[in-house]
Amino acid sequence: MNKDIYFEDVNIGDSIPTLVKEPVTKLQFVKYAGASGDFNPLHTDDDIGKMAGIGGVIAHGMLIMGFVGQAVTNWIPKKNLKKLNVRFAGMTKPGDTISVTGKVVDKNAENNIITCEVFAKDQNEQVKIQGSFEAKLPKKN
Amino acid sequence: MADKSKIGKEYPPFTWEVEKGKIKELVQAIGDKNPIFQDREAATAAGYKDIVASPTYITVPMNWSNQLMGMIKDLQINFLKVLHGEEGYEYFGEIHPGDILTGKAKVADIQTKSGKTGEMDLIKIEINYTNQEGKPVLKANSLIVERK
Repeated sequence: MNKDIYFEDVNIGDSIPTLVKEPVTKLQFVKYAGASGDFNPLHTDDDIGKMAGIGGVIAHGMLIMGFVGQAVTNWIPKKNLKKLNVRFAGMTKPGDTISVTGKVVDKNAENNIITCEVFAKDQNEQVKIQGSFEAKLPKKN
Repeated sequence: MADKSKIGKEYPPFTWEVEKGKIKELVQAIGDKNPIFQDREAATAAGYKDIVASPTYITVPMNWSNQLMGMIKDLQINFLKVLHGEEGYEYFGEIHPGDILTGKAKVADIQTKSGKTGEMDLIKIEINYTNQEGKPVLKANSLIVERK
């Protein structure tokens, strides 16, 4: 799935390939609850979401972090990923279309590690996640 | 309010057996079709010894072992006022089906800050995971926000 990406091929300012997800659904939140074991009813019960004053269910932040992990490992082989950090910046509601974008912000030639910033945003450019990751890339020789 | 006397507290280790079915369930919920997370042949062809756990898989043992809920209770945090502020992972090795993980959780810090919406406690939790060979595989850092 991944093509080999070498340290020399990556430059500061390069964009990582954008991942555009299907709109998130309530069914997906139920599936994610069961898979992850996070049964906070804010993600699966509209009544609880209404009581909490947010109108209905919202996505698990970790589901959106999962999208970020997907975008990163679509580009960089999983084994090269060394760090992934995110800050949850906003709520995601059913029907929102999340896109994950990012770019290279640093390269360290001493340890072959690249640092990238990454964002998950909805169709209105509202930021859901702001984060970063580090990957150790092979050198050509 | 989080109990600041527990800063530095370490919790008893918990163990978790990694199953390929749970890895698959998680990536299917996310909609991540990368075959290295589901198919042994694809994973070995990509240079792994078996199916690998996806980048956020470690949330599965953390939730299913009730580790976080137990800590929230112990720290006297009001669950209804909790937000997940940040999550971060350091990867030291791959996690595969059949691995037995041991997690050791620690309260790294608790700080009170005042933001736009009033005071809040920021609770930093670290969990270090080793596998059955005693090798470190992952460190998870979580920032839990308790609004007042």
